[in-house]
Amino acid sequence: MSTALAPAPSRRDRGGPGRGAATGGRRTLLRLLPLAPGVVLMGIFLVGPIGYALYGSLTNAALSGYRAVAPEFVGLDNYTQLFTSGQFWKSVWLTLVFVVGSAIVGQNVLGMALALLVRNGPKRLGSVVSSLVVTAWVLPEIVAAFTLYAFFATDGTLNEMLGWLGLDGPTWLITFPLLTVILANVWRGTAFSMMVYSAALAEVPPDLTEAAEIDGAGWWQRFTRITLPMVRRAIATNMMLTTLQTLGVFTLIWVMTGGGPGTQSSTLPILAFQQAFKFAQVGYGTAIATVTLMVGALFAVVYVKVLKPEVDS
Amino acid sequence: MQRTRPAALGAAALSLGIVLAGCGSGSSSGSGDTNTITVAYQRTAQFTQLDAVLKKAASEYEAANPGKKVKLTAIEAEQDQYFTKLALMNRSPSTAPDVIYEDSFQVRSDAAAGYLAPIDEQLAGWSDWSQFDDVAKQAGLGDDKKTYGVSMGTDTRALFYNKDIFEKAGLPTDWQPKTWDDVLSAARTIKQKAPGVTPINVYAGKAAGEATSMQGFEMLLYGTDSTLYDDSSQKWVTGSQGFKDTLGFYQTIFGEKLAPALDVALDATVGSRVATEMLPKGELAIALDGSWLPGQWIEGDNAWKGWEDTIGFAPMPTQNGQAPGSVSMSGGWLLSVGANAKDKNAAFDFIKVALNRENSLKYDTENSQIAVRKDVASDDAYTSYNPSFEFFSSLVPTTNFRPATPDYSQISGNIQVAAESVATGSATPDEAAKTYDEGLVGIVGQDKVQGG
Amino acid sequence: MTTPTTTPSPTAAVPVPPAATRPPRRPRVSPAAPSRTKGPRLAAGLALVVVGVAFLVPLAWILLASVNPSATVSVSVPEEPTLQNYRDVLTPELTFRPLLNSLVVSGATAVIVVLVATLSAYPLSRYRMRFNRAFLHTILFGSCLPITAVMVPVYALFVTLGLLDSVPGTVLFLSATALPMAVWMTKNFMDSVPVSIEEAAWVDGASSMQALWRVVVPLMRPGMAVVFIFVFTQAWGNFFVPFVLLLDPAKQPAAVSIYTFFGTNGAVAYGQLAAFSVLYSLPVLVLYLVVQRLGGGSFALAGSVKG
Repeated sequence: MSTALAPAPSRRDRGGPGRGAATGGRRTLLRLLPLAPGVVLMGIFLVGPIGYALYGSLTNAALSGYRAVAPEFVGLDNYTQLFTSGQFWKSVWLTLVFVVGSAIVGQNVLGMALALLVRNGPKRLGSVVSSLVVTAWVLPEIVAAFTLYAFFATDGTLNEMLGWLGLDGPTWLITFPLLTVILANVWRGTAFSMMVYSAALAEVPPDLTEAAEIDGAGWWQRFTRITLPMVRRAIATNMMLTTLQTLGVFTLIWVMTGGGPGTQSSTLPILAFQQAFKFAQVGYGTAIATVTLMVGALFAVVYVKVLKPEVDS
Repeated sequence: MQRTRPAALGAAALSLGIVLAGCGSGSSSGSGDTNTITVAYQRTAQFTQLDAVLKKAASEYEAANPGKKVKLTAIEAEQDQYFTKLALMNRSPSTAPDVIYEDSFQVRSDAAAGYLAPIDEQLAGWSDWSQFDDVAKQAGLGDDKKTYGVSMGTDTRALFYNKDIFEKAGLPTDWQPKTWDDVLSAARTIKQKAPGVTPINVYAGKAAGEATSMQGFEMLLYGTDSTLYDDSSQKWVTGSQGFKDTLGFYQTIFGEKLAPALDVALDATVGSRVATEMLPKGELAIALDGSWLPGQWIEGDNAWKGWEDTIGFAPMPTQNGQAPGSVSMSGGWLLSVGANAKDKNAAFDFIKVALNRENSLKYDTENSQIAVRKDVASDDAYTSYNPSFEFFSSLVPTTNFRPATPDYSQISGNIQVAAESVATGSATPDEAAKTYDEGLVGIVGQDKVQGG
Repeated sequence: MTTPTTTPSPTAAVPVPPAATRPPRRPRVSPAAPSRTKGPRLAAGLALVVVGVAFLVPLAWILLASVNPSATVSVSVPEEPTLQNYRDVLTPELTFRPLLNSLVVSGATAVIVVLVATLSAYPLSRYRMRFNRAFLHTILFGSCLPITAVMVPVYALFVTLGLLDSVPGTVLFLSATALPMAVWMTKNFMDSVPVSIEEAAWVDGASSMQALWRVVVPLMRPGMAVVFIFVFTQAWGNFFVPFVLLLDPAKQPAAVSIYTFFGTNGAVAYGQLAAFSVLYSLPVLVLYLVVQRLGGGSFALAGSVKG
């Protein structure tokens, strides 16, 4: 940590108590002292597991059998096995579809649409609808998962409603498992995007759209030419955030489909869990977790880059 | 002076949190206390018989051993989740239970992992041990030929069928199929003549866990000319015709919609549903299932009056009727002493109480186990309790046991994947068998497999 | 200025139904084009109704099933509403103990996080050091990582540390995962407390910590409450972490016990499941309303570590 310390922070100092009581380095250390509990906590419980993941993925540790007592260091074997496994790539693909479908497209588009509708539609209706949307988001994830399980179940509400229209609904969770969990995740997560976009839209100066309206621009033109460019930073950050949240989704899928049928909805977190705890291959499961983490880290780096000016300001 | 404040505050914050957390954590975990014996076992809404026996045994043991306490930790989960939770607990000495309700196929694996303690010494001093039959003694053996558990009972598997439905469909009510085709043609007849009824259930889902491997897949495979594991060469078999034929059977029943709909078949609760809903309500005609099923129909929440008039039994035939004509699989559960138990003798003493003659009798009758204690098996109270005992005991001579290797539990997982992938139609039998073979080699290594 | 008002930073999601607190700043309909806006307004209303129904129906199922003596997975209005499902689940073993466990885990986590985050935020907010920037970048990075994806190594680490099945261990882990976001939020709140107010305290010879607790903290109490509720809600709803780390049923929070309940009884007892869901969800819904009251639209709440 100390390598990150600035050599002479005092010059930019806003001032503070005990100025000049100690020399630069020592004073900086003292000032950083309140950070210690946080750094220790995160060091043990965040950096720890990440380090452990890197190490564990190089062993053949198992939950039971001889390899549970004496795991061997197997180098990159887990990764070799992983990258040559059809199941892994299928899982990567499912994860990609899940993230793109539910986060990047679903939550973002619906979130933006809702933000616009609530802004421009009937006021009271808008407030009722946005309350409903937010309720879905505030519910504990496992409750949302059960609720949606019931909704999509073969004898569930959705098929019942389709029945009223004379339609024979499919077995959603079996026939379209990925689509179902995507819709479920949109249901559960859209509130976040909606709130981000509402806040962003509120910052768009009304005179701009007014002027365009007077110039004869239709609402779609006003939206694409004026509003969208104004909130593009909000869109960028929101996409990144929803992507990262969605990458880690476990409970929703686990409860609704268990990753199945077969492995048709086994995204990377589900695959890692199953390999480690159902098939007892902790080392292999850890390797999958590590890959997921790397993908997340990649997004996170991009995200931090996007937000950099704000931190530095 | 002032300079120490921040750190002190930080530390105070942390310790406050720990204190807060500690207050509510309740009883201390696992095996910390030598006078407390922790017992980990499974309980579900449908499986309460073990809970009853262990509670009884716990109070008996505590009465006989003042100062000792038994802490029963019921893990409420279906079997597959139970194994996961158990493995999670066993992995850490601080959470490992002292007495473990252990499936026989896990014994070698968990013994090899060092989770279980050998109990040969204690057994030598237990006069009752001579009452246990050889099958029971085998079941507790580890790779090192030491004993790691005391058997609670064994089981066999066969076909259950609903005579009412059979009658309606014009099928004989004393049905005794001779080949797989006989089973399939009966199922097809039912589909035709008794619409709305699911013709046959053979466990096929990953979520059903070991039930899929044992009640389902292996009941088929061991009736072909192939096997899973060659005992003589001690190698696992790849690419066998029997393996593909077994998957072919799955393809047939799911492809022709003779089996339950996938949303039922792949659900973790399918086992409970078959036993407590589908069979009793006449929604299922044929079930390939375990001998313990009638236990819950005799007494308790799921009691089913007149079940013995409705349900018929038939041995599962071999593929083409080849010798010995029928097939069964046997497993069973044990009570084992955890390797991290502080007081292993006390843990064993508890097992002695839980599996004495009286408690074994209670458990074996109520949970429809095939008794492994000779004094229980010959007891009138046992033989007269359940009319299905005679049939299921008669299957013992032709029964099979799962490969007793530490790898089996992982390989079993791959079997479930193969069965489910065929049942859902996402793979053909050939493809699924190939995937299984690759997984198998990955687990045991190229030198531990042989072609079938 | 704090970031939330300018761009949506990770903390910039305003936790308030937009229409409730952010009325359009002026009448939207321009007098120049009255005829063109009526159609879109109607269309917007219709679209809102459709979306609203899609969100309402699953929510309605929980409520209706919870008072339905013979609930199924399909939504239906019970002919004879009953509280029997609630009576059935309101037992120590099914409801009270798991909820108490949840309260302990979430409460302890939120207390730790608020204290630690406030301490951490102080130097980050009050001193200009190059270290701060690196630290904030790291924090931001940490808040983004999909930590739920690494429960397998977390489990392995807990085995090694002997912290498995330990409530304090689980609390510390949950605290660590919530910290990056909480530090970030707290720093933003603290930035909006003017330094000039503290200067008076410094003149009186107070140490920085004294200034923090006596001057800054009282001024940012609403912000800290938001962080507290935010962390509490996250921990309250977390299933995966206690599912893997807490094994003794007596220690498991509601999120895990509800899963068990569903797994072994779910096929037969949807009404009870729904009743339990309502009881378990109520506290966070109430807390959410509190957040709304506390802050209007001026502060931030994020969900980036949800799940």
